[in-house]
Formats: sequence, structure tokens, C-alpha cells
Amino acid sequence: MRILVVEDDAEVARFVKKGLQEAGHKVEHTGSGRDGLFLAASEPFDLLVLDRMLPGGVDGVRLVETLRSQGNRTPVLFLSALSAVDERVKGLKAGGDDYLTKPFAFAELLARVEVLSRRPSAEVPATKLRVADLELDLLSRNVARAGKRIEVQPREFRLLEHLMRHAGQVVTRTMLLEKVWDYHFDPQTNVIDVHVSRLRQKIDRGFDKPLIHTVRNAGYMMRDEP
Amino acid sequence: MIGMFSAPLLVLALGVAATAEGPPRVTSESTEYCASLTARLAGMPAARREPSRSLAAEGTRLCGSGHPQAGIAKLRRAVKAAKAEAP
Amino acid sequence: MPDNTPLLRVPPPLTARRRAEPGKLAPPRLLKSAGFRFAVLFAAMFASAAIALVAVLWWATAGALDRQTDVAIRADAVALSERWREAGQNAVAESIEERLAVDVGNEAIYLLMDASGSLRLAGNIDRWPPEAAERAWFRTVVRHDGFEVEARLHRVDLPGLRLLVGRDETEREMLRRLLTEGVIWASGAVILFALLGAWLLRSVLQARLRPAFRTAAAIGGGDLGSRVALSGREDEFDRLAQTMNAMLDHIGTLMVGVRGVSDAIAHDLRTPIARARAKLEDAVGAARDEAALRAAIEEGIADLDNISRIFRALLRIAEAEAGARRAAFAPFDLVPVLRDAAELYEASAEAREQRLEVDLPQQLAMVGDRDLVLQAVANLLDNAIKFTPPGGSVRLAARQTASGLVIAVSDDGPGLSPADRAQAGERFFRADKARATPGSGLGLSLVVAVAHLHGGDLLLDDARAGEAMPGLRAELRFPLP
Repeated sequence: MRILVVEDDAEVARFVKKGLQEAGHKVEHTGSGRDGLFLAASEPFDLLVLDRMLPGGVDGVRLVETLRSQGNRTPVLFLSALSAVDERVKGLKAGGDDYLTKPFAFAELLARVEVLSRRPSAEVPATKLRVADLELDLLSRNVARAGKRIEVQPREFRLLEHLMRHAGQVVTRTMLLEKVWDYHFDPQTNVIDVHVSRLRQKIDRGFDKPLIHTVRNAGYMMRDEP
Repeated sequence: MIGMFSAPLLVLALGVAATAEGPPRVTSESTEYCASLTARLAGMPAARREPSRSLAAEGTRLCGSGHPQAGIAKLRRAVKAAKAEAP
Repeated sequence: MPDNTPLLRVPPPLTARRRAEPGKLAPPRLLKSAGFRFAVLFAAMFASAAIALVAVLWWATAGALDRQTDVAIRADAVALSERWREAGQNAVAESIEERLAVDVGNEAIYLLMDASGSLRLAGNIDRWPPEAAERAWFRTVVRHDGFEVEARLHRVDLPGLRLLVGRDETEREMLRRLLTEGVIWASGAVILFALLGAWLLRSVLQARLRPAFRTAAAIGGGDLGSRVALSGREDEFDRLAQTMNAMLDHIGTLMVGVRGVSDAIAHDLRTPIARARAKLEDAVGAARDEAALRAAIEEGIADLDNISRIFRALLRIAEAEAGARRAAFAPFDLVPVLRDAAELYEASAEAREQRLEVDLPQQLAMVGDRDLVLQAVANLLDNAIKFTPPGGSVRLAARQTASGLVIAVSDDGPGLSPADRAQAGERFFRADKARATPGSGLGLSLVVAVAHLHGGDLLLDDARAGEAMPGLRAELRFPLP
């Protein structure tokens, strides 16, 4: 993917650029909002990673607003030290697609970048999700592995659905809290881990290979390979 | 208010300009008029009765002693009284 | 030994040049003074009303006199015209002389001349006024009794004759002069009173506002304890003073809170930061191989993440305490939020072989911040699960009472002693028994902050009083929306 990083802090920019390049993406970087706007408007990028607070008169929010008003639909991920909920809402309302607060773990950034890059396809939405021999029927709300029916609770179903929709991508704990439980908060302990572990008991134990993998320091991934 | 002052002032100016003698003068305030009123009273029968008679006498006396305005006023009242009496 | 220098420094005020006399703020110049402008406005309205009154009076009195005079003149003119029509010129002259003879008021004016204007036939003025040529109704000056007075005259056009009928307007003149003098004196009085009133209003306003000015200047100069003095009159200025004082009290509380947070950061986070640093420094010196170094670095990242989380939690608490999020309050149903919280922690409870019981009504309407309430309940559940031994049970219940909504989380753990309960809401407080368990000690202080933000409170009590392990019952109370 071609990614534009607009970040005025040199250290953070270097860190992000290097990490994304190592993940196989082509990364361009600028430290000023004005240049970033010019670049984003004139060249095709698959994703923009923007800092909220930028020098030069054009900050992250204004940049996105301008782009959106020009009809530019490139996905935007905000990076910001401003963690208050209102700031988040402001960023998303301006046209941003996701919002990550500093300090952040690079794995979290990468996971969200990957998720944003996969745009919803124009095909008919699937009624069945499949990873290896695990099947999820969205209409009948049934889960089966290797033909055997597995009983899951509604919330476990949603968790599994989210993991399967993002199969092959890293899903962080924060992302799960936001998407599966629809809340933005910081749990004191590993409350998400316990849910995933319980789900694992149901769909991985007793089968030939595990599908839910823990990605160290990042989160989880549903994957077919070992 | 200024307007109300300016009209007479203007007239005064015009009057002065027009007639060297000044504004029109009222003539019914001199001893001649006293005489004219007395003559009139003489021709009125009711003037010989009271209150007209004493009023006329007073008026004549005032006219004669240098107070024509007061005298004229009395004589006029005498005439008025005499007229009221007469049918 | 704790370092007493506060981390928070109040920056010097930008308007330092105005600090010459902190107690005295110069009142605005006269033209800019609101008090003066109010008084001018009042004086203008008063003057307008006075002028309107005078105009009405004038119209009613002098105007009435004028109208009366004109009516009399017209009646006279009509009568004389009739006389001429009936009996001709001589009869008119005789009529005029008769009228003059009974004119006790000495105000009638007549002049009858022939058409050429050279022969005077009857009347009591000596010449034809020049204005008569231009207008039928006019005013002019005549000499009467030695004085020059105004007269109202009317020219009547009769064939072969020139007739003038009029009245002396001395009385009207006098009345007008009286009224004019009166108006001038009154205007003088109005101006005097207006100026006096302006000065008075301005001094009163200044005096009533002085306490507020003084307090604001004092606070600007750094004396944050200064409050506006009340006059005891309980009027609008006192209300302003009370509002200002309430605001200053709140700001004072916030500043104490901010200082408290910075102190907490200084004292309590210094340790984990120092510890993380020490571990890394140690690893640099003593690590045997790359794997050990890598492990040390990863632990360093985890420590930093933890510190980061504590900062975020502190910020959330400060945000909640500052009341800023009250603006985003919205109505929502509490029951689904509680069910979600229970569901989140149900897995954790199950993992520890605990039972999580839920007792909720169908619906509980409330107004507030959904995310914060979930966070608060989550913190309570987290604590309950943490301190309940395996095999025990945790109960989440909610109900509506006469005074509001109550959410209760009770557990089977050791509970909190009354002394500990009092301190539980403070930041970074950890009861001695809890020091070994994970957590930063911020959980309950957030719950307290969320409760207060919604106008409610957090009450702690024994779940089952008297037993060896009484357990803790945490009640989150919210007032009715």
C-alpha cells in the first residue's frame, strides 16, 4: 500500500515509517500540514496517517475536512496526543476513519492500518464465513467446526464473527472492545483475554489445529496456518 | 417657538419698512373716543337709569382726569348695561 | 523525603504592566461609563416626555385660545357680512361702532374702508396693514394702550369695501411668555437633575461594583483566596457577587485537584518510573546475551504502557471531576449498560470459578455519560472479582428508589474496614491487604468522580455485617434525571 505519514515529531515519524516499510508498505512522509494536504490531494495514496496537531496553519482536522470537501475518500488514521472523547469525536466527524492516541504500540497502529486498507467489497455481503474447517452461518447464527455444531453465547458469536471477518489481520484488544462491545474505555485488567480464552476452549480445543492465535504485544489473529 | 417670534418680528420689520410711522395704531383708547361713547350714551334712554348712570358718570370723570383707558372701560360697561336694560 | 516544590507553576500574568496598583482599577472614563450612559438615556427619555407634555399643554391652552379667537373673529365676520347684505354699507359701519361701544374686554379690532383704501368708514385702527393684501388671515403688530402687541386679523372681502375683523392677542402673548419661561426653567431643572442623576448613578454603580473589581484584581495579583464582599442587600449585585464567589470556590477546588494530581504524579508515579528505569539500566549492564536484553526491553515497554495507562486514568478522573463532560450528557437506558458490564466480567468470574449474579429490572432511564458509567461499574466489578476468593459469588443489582437510581456491587471478599473505606476514594489508595494485587489504586477514585459528575455518590459498606469475611458492598447512587 502507498501510505502518507504527516507527522511533525521526527522520532515518531521515523518509527512509524520504518515499521510500515518493514511491513511491506511504501511510505512517504512530510512534517507540515500544508505539504501534506498538497501531497494527499495531488497524488494517489491508499491510506493517510495524520497527526492531529501540525505546524504551518493546517492541522490534521482541517486537512481531512479539506480533502473530504474535495471528494477525496482516502482512508485516514489520526494519531494524537489528545485523548479526550470529544477530540476523538471531532476527529472522526471531520472525516477520519480511525483514531489512535499517543503513546501507542506499533502493533496497534499496524493492525488498524491493515484493517483500514481492506475496503468493503461491492459484492453481495456473505451469509457464511469460513476459515479452514470453521464455519459461521450469519443467518441461522450457527457455528460448526469440521461439521460438528458448537454452542456459543451471543457475545461469543459476535467476537468470533469479528475475528473471522478480519482473518489474517491483527485485531487488538482495544479494537475488540470498540467493535464487539461498543465501548471506549480502559479496562484495568485483562478482561478481554478471558473472553478470547473461553472462546478458544470452545472452538480450538479438541480439533487438529488452533485457529485463534495470540500475537505477542499486539492482540489476536484468526489464521489457518500454524 | 422661534417661529412664533419670527412672524411678529418680520411684520415689525415690514411695518417699519413700509410705514415710517410704525405699526397700525388702535384708535379707541383716547379722549376722543370717550366723547364718542358719551354721545352714544346720551342717545340711549336706558342710560339714565342705574347702573348705567353711575357707571357713565364714573367713566366721564376718569376720562376727564387723564385716565382715558379706565374711563373708556367704564363707559363701555355703561353702554352694555343700558343695552341690557332696553328691550 | 518528599520534595515539596509543586510541579504546577502559575505563569505570570500577561498583563503585568497593569499590576501597578492591584487594588485600584481605574473606573471607565465618563463617556465610556455605563452609569453615565444610563443616566443620559434616562434624561433623554424624561426630556422627551417633558417636551411632549409641554407640547400637549401648549396645544391645549395657547392653541385653544387661538382657536377661540379665530372662532370669535369668524362669527363676527359672518355677522357683519350678513348685516351688509341686509342693509348695506352704513349699517355695517354702525354695527361696528356698536360692537366697539360694548367691548369691555378692549380686545376687538375692526377697520372698514372703501375699496380704494383711502377713506376710513369705521373701526378702531388707523390704517390698513400691508399683510392684509397677501393673506386673508394673519398676525401683525399693533400699538395698543402705548404697547406694541400682536393682533390676529381677518380680511373679509365685500364688494366695494374692505373689512378687517380681529382681536388683540395680548393675553395669548402673556400666556405664551409664561409657558416659555416655564419651559426654560424646567429644561434647566431637567438638565441639572440629569447631570446629578448621572453622577449619582455612576457613583452608585461604581460603589456596588467595587468589591467585584477589587476581588478580581486581587486574584489577578495572585491572592486566590480573595472573595467578593456581599453588601447584605440581597439584590442583583449581591447575586453577582455570590455567583462569582461560587465560581471562585469551584476554581479553587479544581486547582487543588490539579495540584493534587500533579503531586500524585510526582510522588506515586516517580516510583514506577524509577523502577522501570532501574530495570533497564540494570539490563544494559548485566544482560548476558541478546535474548536477555530483548526480554528486558520488552518488560520496559510493558512498564511504560502501564505508566501510560495510569496517566490516562488520572486524566479521565480529572476530566470527570472538572465537570467538562456534563455537556455531553444524553438520556440512555442503564440496564443494557449494566448487562454489558456483567457480560464483560462474567468470563473473568468464570475463570476464577466465581458466580456472577445479576439482578436487574426491565429498564432504568437515566441521563448521563454512558461510557463513564460503564467504566465505573466495570471498575467495581473488577475489584469485586479480584478480591472474592475462588468459589465465591459477586452480585450486581440495580433498582430505582424514591430518590434516584442505585447500582450495587457486592462481593464475598474480606471487605474494607471503616477506616479504609473513608480513604478508598482517594487516588492511589491501596488498602494494605490489596497491595499485592494488580491495579493502580485509581479504580475507586474514578468511580467516585463519575458519581459526583452525575450529582450522585458512592457508598461503601459491609455486604454481610458481623461475619469473618463480610465482603464489600459498593453502592453507586444517581439522583433522578
